[in-house]
Amino acid sequence: MTFVQKTLKRFGLIEDWQAPRRRAWLVFLVPGLIVYTLFMAYPLVNSMRLSFYTGIGLRPDHYVGLENYKTLFGDTLWNERFTNALENTFIFFGIHMVVQNSLGLLFATILSQKHLIGRNIYRTFIFIPATMSVLLTAFLWRLILNPRWGMLKVLLERVGHEEWFKAWLGDTKYALIVVSLVSSWQWVGLPTMMFLAGFLRVPDELVEAARVDGANAWQIWFRIKLPLLKPIIGIVTILTFIGNFNAFDVVYAMMGANGPPQYSTDIMGTFFYRAAIAGEHPVARSDMGIGAAVATITFLILMVGVSSWLIFSRQQSEEAVLG
Amino acid sequence: MKRTLLVLALVAAVVVGLGSKAPVSTAQEEVTLVLGSWRVDDVEQIEALTAAFHEAYPNINVVFDPTNPPDYNATLQSQFETGNAPDLMYLRSFAVGRGLYDQGFLADVSDLPGLTDAFTEGSLSAWSTEEGVHYGVPLMAVSHGIYYNADLFNELGIEIPETWEELLAAAQVLKDNDYDAFSNASGEPWTIAEIVFMNLAPNYIGGYEGRLAYLNGERCFNDEHAVAAFQAIADLAPYFPKDNSALTYYDSQQIFLLGEAGMWMGGSWDIPFFESEAPDFEWSVFAVPAPEAQEEEYVSFHVDAAIGMNAATEHPDEAQLFLEWMTTPEFAALFGNLLPGFFPLNVQAPTLDNPHADAFLKLNEGRGQDVRWAWDGLLDGEPNGYDLMQNNAISVLNGEINAQEAADNLQNGLAEWLPAAQTCAQ
Repeated sequence: MTFVQKTLKRFGLIEDWQAPRRRAWLVFLVPGLIVYTLFMAYPLVNSMRLSFYTGIGLRPDHYVGLENYKTLFGDTLWNERFTNALENTFIFFGIHMVVQNSLGLLFATILSQKHLIGRNIYRTFIFIPATMSVLLTAFLWRLILNPRWGMLKVLLERVGHEEWFKAWLGDTKYALIVVSLVSSWQWVGLPTMMFLAGFLRVPDELVEAARVDGANAWQIWFRIKLPLLKPIIGIVTILTFIGNFNAFDVVYAMMGANGPPQYSTDIMGTFFYRAAIAGEHPVARSDMGIGAAVATITFLILMVGVSSWLIFSRQQSEEAVLG
Repeated sequence: MKRTLLVLALVAAVVVGLGSKAPVSTAQEEVTLVLGSWRVDDVEQIEALTAAFHEAYPNINVVFDPTNPPDYNATLQSQFETGNAPDLMYLRSFAVGRGLYDQGFLADVSDLPGLTDAFTEGSLSAWSTEEGVHYGVPLMAVSHGIYYNADLFNELGIEIPETWEELLAAAQVLKDNDYDAFSNASGEPWTIAEIVFMNLAPNYIGGYEGRLAYLNGERCFNDEHAVAAFQAIADLAPYFPKDNSALTYYDSQQIFLLGEAGMWMGGSWDIPFFESEAPDFEWSVFAVPAPEAQEEEYVSFHVDAAIGMNAATEHPDEAQLFLEWMTTPEFAALFGNLLPGFFPLNVQAPTLDNPHADAFLKLNEGRGQDVRWAWDGLLDGEPNGYDLMQNNAISVLNGEINAQEAADNLQNGLAEWLPAAQTCAQ
């Protein structure tokens, strides 16, 4: 019996297939497994391997053990930049959660009102920014916020409150907040759509029953719709978390790779870009090894975040089953 | 091994395929040299240049093959590592170019005929070792100065300032007349470093000699000269546009081009851009003036690029011919006129057809020249001199620290790794 026949038999595809056919599902895993291994797992593991090497050029070839991590955590300057980028990323994420996702929830609530006139128009408007290029929206907002000829400044002058305008993008206190708000503005359509889909799935009978029991609109929203939306809120949170920790484009397009002013808008993505690929003008001495270390740390942060959510949500659903 | 052979076979197939497109004259051996570069904007001009070379040496073709600037260093490095580097390539000045030489990738061109006659020791030094080995032929420099609105100066009766104090007085006149004196902005930090701080610094630290005194450890980076340079930034602060911390490089150019500002500290590379924008007023440039009672003046004339030769090139003789051609006055005239704002470094400076470029080059007359302060020796460790100058100059500009504190920060930062800064106090 040839090897092929043996294998096929093992998976219950030939001869006596009745008993082992339950194992046939293994075969269906193969294409996915190959693609995943080749394009996801291998690069990921390889990038972790690279974090133990150093060297100029595209292929760091000098093994240094944990030296890159020691630099990131031990060297004053590297550590300062690294912690700064990490903190900024958490602030960036926090603002997205508070602004983007809360607004998304609000918009979804409004859009789910069946008697709302022009529902589709509002929905389109809310979603349009998400279809635009980040380069475009970043440029647009830079123009609007320009302290010399920006639209917002002109607008505030017209209403007689010129003093309300500040050069936010040039101010270390506000720049990151503004960039996060621009990013939230652009992507608010996505959580809106997901929440809306969730709201529309809430069975009418439940709402009807609650109303018969004398619940008002607020109680229906808070006691019935919101709890049913929990899984979607979880997914939106995780997607925002992953998206923000991998974010790069909005800061790069609006502020540049250095996260000016004075690194106040530097996030993990831009920090990684400088460390691994571009270097810092004018030195341009980048090191893929230390870049890989930054990427590995980002990956670990994401993994901890996502797994704790998975564990948490599993416990929740188990409780729901048992409860 | 098998894979290498396969790659070689593929490369051979491609080469043969390319070769078969153009009829190869076998009578005289045709040689093609590849010239690597980061100047993707200059393709047309450099091709005109290589065409002129081809006319003089009909059997040599030079193909210009530029890479996106941010990727250039890494690409070149990996090309050298894998043996695919071009025969000739643009070299960045000081540390980056030196790294390639130290790895043995670049040929020693010290014996190139005419090299030391055509260029000053100062320009050659950006691509030389301490032992006097030259590994690059200087190609171009960029200059720095102050662009000014000549019509506005006439209208307000402002003379071209000859001292720093006159410059500040002129700025005050502009400000009193509701113009921005300078349209420079710190929204893009590099502009404060390169076209403001390092533009004016040579006057305060005393050009090349003064700069060497810091690198020798004779001076500390927080001595009176460095403090004076940062103080100059503080002097300028009231004359920059309101909210300039959020204005970009482009904004600051436009403010000047719209006639809303009298002056703009800038670099010669923007001449073509300013000409293409064609503002409806006359503009020209003058050098950053030195403080009163100081005789010597300096221009920040920054050596930017040289061309080096691959040590492993298959056509060393032909490549050398090209480098030799670069030392001739004809090359200098051709290059300077093809790329206004980028200046050839030949000691026999050509007359340039472009009046603005010519005006810029004339700033060198009677003034000492030096590279941007941070480039030579201050980029080799962290925190590097460039970041320290940039960030502290911006802090001074924003009024967060004074000039003395800025200079102290520069000294303390460099003292973390630079021996000269560590030993200067003794």
